[in-house]
Amino acid sequence: MILLDRVTKTYDQTAKPALNRVSLYIKPKEFVIIVGSSGAGKSTLLKLLTREEKPTSGKIIVGGIDYDNLKDAYIPMLRRKIGVVFQDFKLLPQRTVFENVAFALEIAGMSNKEIKNTVPRVIDLVGLKGKEKSFPRQLSGGERQRVAIARAIVRQPKILIADEPTGNLDPSHSWDIVKLLEKINHYGTTVILATHNMEIVNRLKRRVIEVEHGKIVSDQAVGSYVSNVKAE
Amino acid sequence: MLAMLKQNDNQKKEEKPKKQKRQFSRKMLTFGRVIRYGVSNFRRNAWLTMAATVVMTMTLSIIFISLIARNVMLDTVNTLKDKVDMSIYLKTDTPSNEATAIQNELKQLKSVTKVTYISPEEGRNEIVQENSDSIDYLNAINEATNEIPGTLRVKIVDIDNTSELQSFVKNDVLLKKYISSDFQPSFAGSRKASIESIGKTMNFIEKAGVVLAVFFVIISFFVIYNTIRMAIFNRKDEIYMMQLIGADQSFIRGPFLVEASMYGCIAAVIATIVGYVGIIFAKAPLNSYSISVDSTYSLLIIFLPVIIVTMLLLGIIIGCISSYFATKRYLKL
Repeated sequence: MILLDRVTKTYDQTAKPALNRVSLYIKPKEFVIIVGSSGAGKSTLLKLLTREEKPTSGKIIVGGIDYDNLKDAYIPMLRRKIGVVFQDFKLLPQRTVFENVAFALEIAGMSNKEIKNTVPRVIDLVGLKGKEKSFPRQLSGGERQRVAIARAIVRQPKILIADEPTGNLDPSHSWDIVKLLEKINHYGTTVILATHNMEIVNRLKRRVIEVEHGKIVSDQAVGSYVSNVKAE
Repeated sequence: MLAMLKQNDNQKKEEKPKKQKRQFSRKMLTFGRVIRYGVSNFRRNAWLTMAATVVMTMTLSIIFISLIARNVMLDTVNTLKDKVDMSIYLKTDTPSNEATAIQNELKQLKSVTKVTYISPEEGRNEIVQENSDSIDYLNAINEATNEIPGTLRVKIVDIDNTSELQSFVKNDVLLKKYISSDFQPSFAGSRKASIESIGKTMNFIEKAGVVLAVFFVIISFFVIYNTIRMAIFNRKDEIYMMQLIGADQSFIRGPFLVEASMYGCIAAVIATIVGYVGIIFAKAPLNSYSISVDSTYSLLIIFLPVIIVTMLLLGIIIGCISSYFATKRYLKL
């Protein structure tokens, strides 16, 4: 499903590489947690998967697509197959919950009828039924993140990438979001969760890949995280 | 086997138009959404709408008014040009039939539009009439013994091109016999300089008008480009999010272009109204200074629909091009 073969990413020729000959394989429907301190290379790894960045060397294959052969014109198509959730939600502030979720379908050219059928079901799935007409500013942090997750999964992507989705949330909301990600994974979506929240990692008991200084330092099938980074 | 292959071929042939139809309706749906997003952004970003519309209105007004002013000035110069004629002076004893013969010869010239002969008597009467309020002047004319020369007043097509007329004056046998030796033809004297200066002024005004209009268009591109860029900078997170969830460039850029077109259209309507109201109010005072506004005014009335469409197109083009370049920076995949 996801294959990285000796991938190196250097932003500046003179600086140390952000990722240094990283090799990784993630199976379909897997739930993988990527941990590491700030600047370890987690975000670079995720940016390579969403094709925001190109690797300096090495090979990336996602869902059978070899990124070396991917033309720029097809990048939007690729991204429609990968759901992304950010720490700061990145919602459209002037649009309602319904409009924010529907937006992901509108850009894919889905008909209004399909949108009217699909969006309420996904909003219900993330536990926001009744909030369809609310604007992001009227929601709590946890609710906003649920909207972002709804938007990411509404097109039923094969892969969901969550980059520090609990970074701006309090512990109880954080755990709710993680449970939601588990639920999505249960329905068959591969989930890649980047975090440095020790408590979450240790409670989840899933595969944990630890990145430090641009290299994978550990890869445990059922891992825990005891890094020196403080939990949020 | 052959029948099966044929059936497959037929199926493929039937599917192709269906697929094309689906793609077309999807494109139309996306186009409609792009317009809807553009209109809704326009409504939701009140401050930007105001700022961009004001800037665009000012620009279009300046362009429109400078073009009107150019036209008015050209008309005024043309009117002056029409009033200018060139005079060829004949000897005081030239028989009137010979003067008429020369007049007819002049009329044959391609560059000549009109020739009038003013006999010495008529010339004297003209002077008397023009100076009827100055008794001293009239007394002086009455006492003067010398006669006023007969004058051939010639109007030509282009006051900048007197070569044919000059060569006629130099070479025509009949004219050479009767031309006044005391008074040079007017195009050869001081009037020539003033005639040439009118021609030069007119050329300058024509060129300056075009240069000014182009200059304002370029300035407006930069001003509007920066206004829109500022707005896009505020929405760069939004653009980034759109890119990451798979919106293609045209879907992201489209609403910005629609928004900019709307500023352009509103500004075009306001600028046109400003131009028309301006000329309506300025007409009477300018006419009193002998500035010819009437023909420009009639042109503006006759071509009102064309002018509105042109202004709308100009507004849309300026808006779209500025917006296109302003979004370019944030649309790298």
